[in-house]
Amino acid sequence: MAAPSYGLIATFDTTPDLHHAAEKVRDAGYRNWDCITPFPVHGLDKAMGLQRSIVPRISLVGGIIGFCTGTSMIWWTGAVDYQLIVGGKPLFSPMFAFPVSYELTILFTAFATIGGMLFLNGLPMHYHAVLKYEHIRRGMDDQFFIVIETRDPRFNLANTKALLEKAGGKNISELEA
Amino acid sequence: MSSTHAATASSALPSDTSTAAAATKALTVGLVGLAVTALGVAVMPDRHGPVMSYLVGITFCTSILIGMLMLILIHHIVDASWSVVIRRQFEHALTSFKWLFVLFLPLLVLAWVKPGFVWPWMDLAHELHGHGTVGTDILYQKKSGFLNLHMFTGMTLAFFASWVWLSARLRQASFTQDSDGDVKWTFMNRKTAAIGLPIGALTLSFAAIYWVKSLEYHWFSTMYGVWFFANCIRGALAVGVIIMIWLWDRGDFKGVLNTNHSYSIGMLAFAFTVFWAYITFSQYFLIWNANVPEETFWYNLREVNHDGSTNQWWYVGLVLLFGHFFVPFLYLLSYKHKVVHSKIKPIMWWILAVILVDMCYNILPALKDGHGDSLPFLSLNLLWVLTSVVGIGGVCVWSYLKSFPTTKLIPIRDPRITESLTYHE
Repeated sequence: MAAPSYGLIATFDTTPDLHHAAEKVRDAGYRNWDCITPFPVHGLDKAMGLQRSIVPRISLVGGIIGFCTGTSMIWWTGAVDYQLIVGGKPLFSPMFAFPVSYELTILFTAFATIGGMLFLNGLPMHYHAVLKYEHIRRGMDDQFFIVIETRDPRFNLANTKALLEKAGGKNISELEA
Repeated sequence: MSSTHAATASSALPSDTSTAAAATKALTVGLVGLAVTALGVAVMPDRHGPVMSYLVGITFCTSILIGMLMLILIHHIVDASWSVVIRRQFEHALTSFKWLFVLFLPLLVLAWVKPGFVWPWMDLAHELHGHGTVGTDILYQKKSGFLNLHMFTGMTLAFFASWVWLSARLRQASFTQDSDGDVKWTFMNRKTAAIGLPIGALTLSFAAIYWVKSLEYHWFSTMYGVWFFANCIRGALAVGVIIMIWLWDRGDFKGVLNTNHSYSIGMLAFAFTVFWAYITFSQYFLIWNANVPEETFWYNLREVNHDGSTNQWWYVGLVLLFGHFFVPFLYLLSYKHKVVHSKIKPIMWWILAVILVDMCYNILPALKDGHGDSLPFLSLNLLWVLTSVVGIGGVCVWSYLKSFPTTKLIPIRDPRITESLTYHE
């Protein structure tokens, strides 16, 4: 294949095969690679050496911004921009700023979580190299794949192919970018 | 974790030699605690302090047990799977209800022998600060169909009867299933849960109203039962985590418990932290906003003296705001703090401690001085609170440890046990 290559794809028939192969790829030190499975495989994240997602941190930042936005909005509208005494209450109190701050904490946390998730996983994605692979639909049914990308610093056509073969991968082929 | 767990677990009957010694120790400590509390009642010039502190202790311990009962009922009604491994420990703990009833009896007897000593509305001649007696008080007269000694006694008996009855049914079904493996016990528990949840919700709300809220019978709050429920569940989850880690450290839970169990129970504890804050804040906020004297006086008692100076309860309120909400909330945000045993354990003890402070905050300001101000928080009463909790808690721990070796460690024939042992987020 003369066109630039996206990476190598290997096929596995069972989840244990995939699981052990993933451990081998992980131990070989690859970083830009992925598993394709028809259903969630418990424990595969560990076998792939994946860390916990950083989405919760983005959520936390969103929450803090939401809380501060709510509180400062109530303070600014009530105590600065349009001072009005209602029910003998002070112009500003954290007491009545709290419901709004709390709602905005939840709202902004939700935005940050969904936005952060989409930013990190790159969705929506209209094209992916594996979609050109002729057997890829089996990955939605009864087969499992490992894809190692050429941009991985450790990628080397011959060595990576050998690793996948040793890990039990079948039908190893190159993916067009 | 692998599928060999069920096999390992089925042979694991907890050893009873070590728990027998611990049970005796717990009972001894408990009896000493009760004896010291009784001594306090006998020797203190003002006996109100130790008696009210005893009410704090028994409300605190009962709330944890109610929380466990409610968690088991919720477990069954939603057909939960992950919580099967911890359910058995709650079932063991439920045996304490009958002892809590026995320990509540002195307060009940006191209500008949000296009406008005603990709950002022029981004595119609009780002098109200500045406006007549209870009997001439319109707010009492309107509430007297609900607040009278017969209702109080009947309801208290009904509370304990319901809790003991529900506990006995849940325990019997779950324990029998260990030996015969019949799925009908699971269905029986589901039916118990269907009737038990409304019964539990009503009894815990009324218990909170009669035992605690009626100390200031002028007051109105529609959030009170839910506030109590939030504390019940938080206490039960905290004790649940502590038991889980205790069993892990002993070795019993090795191969049974995995990270996901800790994570799930940690998330529940986190969720109920927010729930408690939501309820407690709403109660305060609605009263603050409406500014009606029949409602605000309850918080005024807990903030200022009659001369306008800040009292100690104001600071206790701040301790609750930060200690009961912000500290556990921010701490439990972290994944690690929910799954690493050495990290989740201290916060669970902390939560138990602040629940106790919350009970003090709700009960002890009913003790007043000559000006109608609440007696300060920092006083000898804290000692009686402590001895009461140690006393009543010791009896509960003894009762739990006595039940503990009588069954398998986990419900090995529960239809969901494999799912629970291999639980994955």
